[in-house]
Amino acid sequence: MKTKQLIPMAFMACGFALFSSCADELSNIAHEEPTKEITGSWKVIKLTRNGEDLSQRLNLNDFRIEFKEDGTYTIAERLPFVLEGSGAYALSDPQYPFSVLMTAEGTDEEVPVNFQYPVVKGKRQLNLTFSLGCSSTTYQYSFERENQ
Amino acid sequence: MTLFLMHCGLKALSVTVPAQASANERISFIMHCGAEPRIEGSGTYTTQLLAGIMVPKSWKARENAVLTFTSPKGNGTMRMIPDSEIEPVSGVNWHQAAKNMFGIGPNLVDDFEWIIYRSTQSYTFVNNEDIDFDVKVECNVGAENMLVRLGFYVGSSIENLRPEDTDYKKFTFSNVFEVIDGEGDLIDFVNPQLGTIQPVKSLDNDIITLTFNGGVTNTVLDGVNDIYLRVKAFDDNDQLIGEVNERNDKTKLSSIGGKRFRIDIWPRGFFAIEKGIHIARLEYFFTDADGTKTVGYGNTEDPFKYTFRCE
Repeated sequence: MKTKQLIPMAFMACGFALFSSCADELSNIAHEEPTKEITGSWKVIKLTRNGEDLSQRLNLNDFRIEFKEDGTYTIAERLPFVLEGSGAYALSDPQYPFSVLMTAEGTDEEVPVNFQYPVVKGKRQLNLTFSLGCSSTTYQYSFERENQ
Repeated sequence: MTLFLMHCGLKALSVTVPAQASANERISFIMHCGAEPRIEGSGTYTTQLLAGIMVPKSWKARENAVLTFTSPKGNGTMRMIPDSEIEPVSGVNWHQAAKNMFGIGPNLVDDFEWIIYRSTQSYTFVNNEDIDFDVKVECNVGAENMLVRLGFYVGSSIENLRPEDTDYKKFTFSNVFEVIDGEGDLIDFVNPQLGTIQPVKSLDNDIITLTFNGGVTNTVLDGVNDIYLRVKAFDDNDQLIGEVNERNDKTKLSSIGGKRFRIDIWPRGFFAIEKGIHIARLEYFFTDADGTKTVGYGNTEDPFKYTFRCE
């Protein structure tokens, strides 16, 4: 083959290679869509009440929640939460796409807790939003994984 | 398209508010306003009238308030803007946008809501078509005794709630309005209080903020920098179910300036209340590090009181 033909063919080959590697990249990205994995131990890093930031005003060290693989959760005793004590949880209920369904031990009531799962400054956060007492007051807890 | 310059806009807003009303009475407030359109050339200005009120949430005005207006260009009943409709400039609904923009005025404790209404008709103005108009607000004043200053707003729908606009956005707060002959202790939104708990409506599982405002009056705690909380918890049967009488990190208030001190607590955790038991009310004092100097309600030896309730 003459060089004159080789060069365009080389470019085409490069082009194909680039295109197919792009396609690979794209398909890789498509497959890496993160699922909402909340198992693990989470500690509270931010707490707001009706938008007012209480994080610096309360000792958040004891505020922890753990979602276990077996579908149960435990909360630290000192955590003001919408449910008391430990219990069971469920995700991905099509009826409640943005909620974790939590049922406290010894009760039948399934409580949907609104949640968001953003990545903030490169770290996965779990944001739970709920009322603790009066429905006119809304709290948002931002959790980070422990030992991250 | 020629840009018509607009000046003046709305006239100053004044309100007629009676000095007091009895609890549960249905009362009228009148907003007095007007339009002073200054439009260049042969242009016109077409808009819907906006009006808003700021009232205590306990009045449930969303359910019972009626706003009507009278003017030389027509009379009408205004409709509450739906929660689902977003105010274009702020990106939140109109009521939230108004709350963010106008706040609670001269009131010191927030248990208020702004509610925004709009005329169903549009009105077209030409240059110098000055008019006066009134917006009448009828609503129930709720069951609680209170001292409050109410908020009022008049605007033009096509101007939205643009922050920089002062021509088409008029708002004001009334003088003190009192509700008497009602239930419970007086809720004073207006005068600085020696001791307050927020949110005003909470249950024992909420996180509450107790504030001591030493600037209100001279007390035995004047000049004291370390202030502590002493508090008792009672159930529905007036049984004492919890008491914290210690002076340490758990009960120490933080200084927030202006002779004010503050502490946030989660009552159920603070008193280690067991499952199934509930705190109905608190009685509390502010003290010094020894516990010898104490300040109670109205600077007396009686405790401050707080009842947990949502309504």
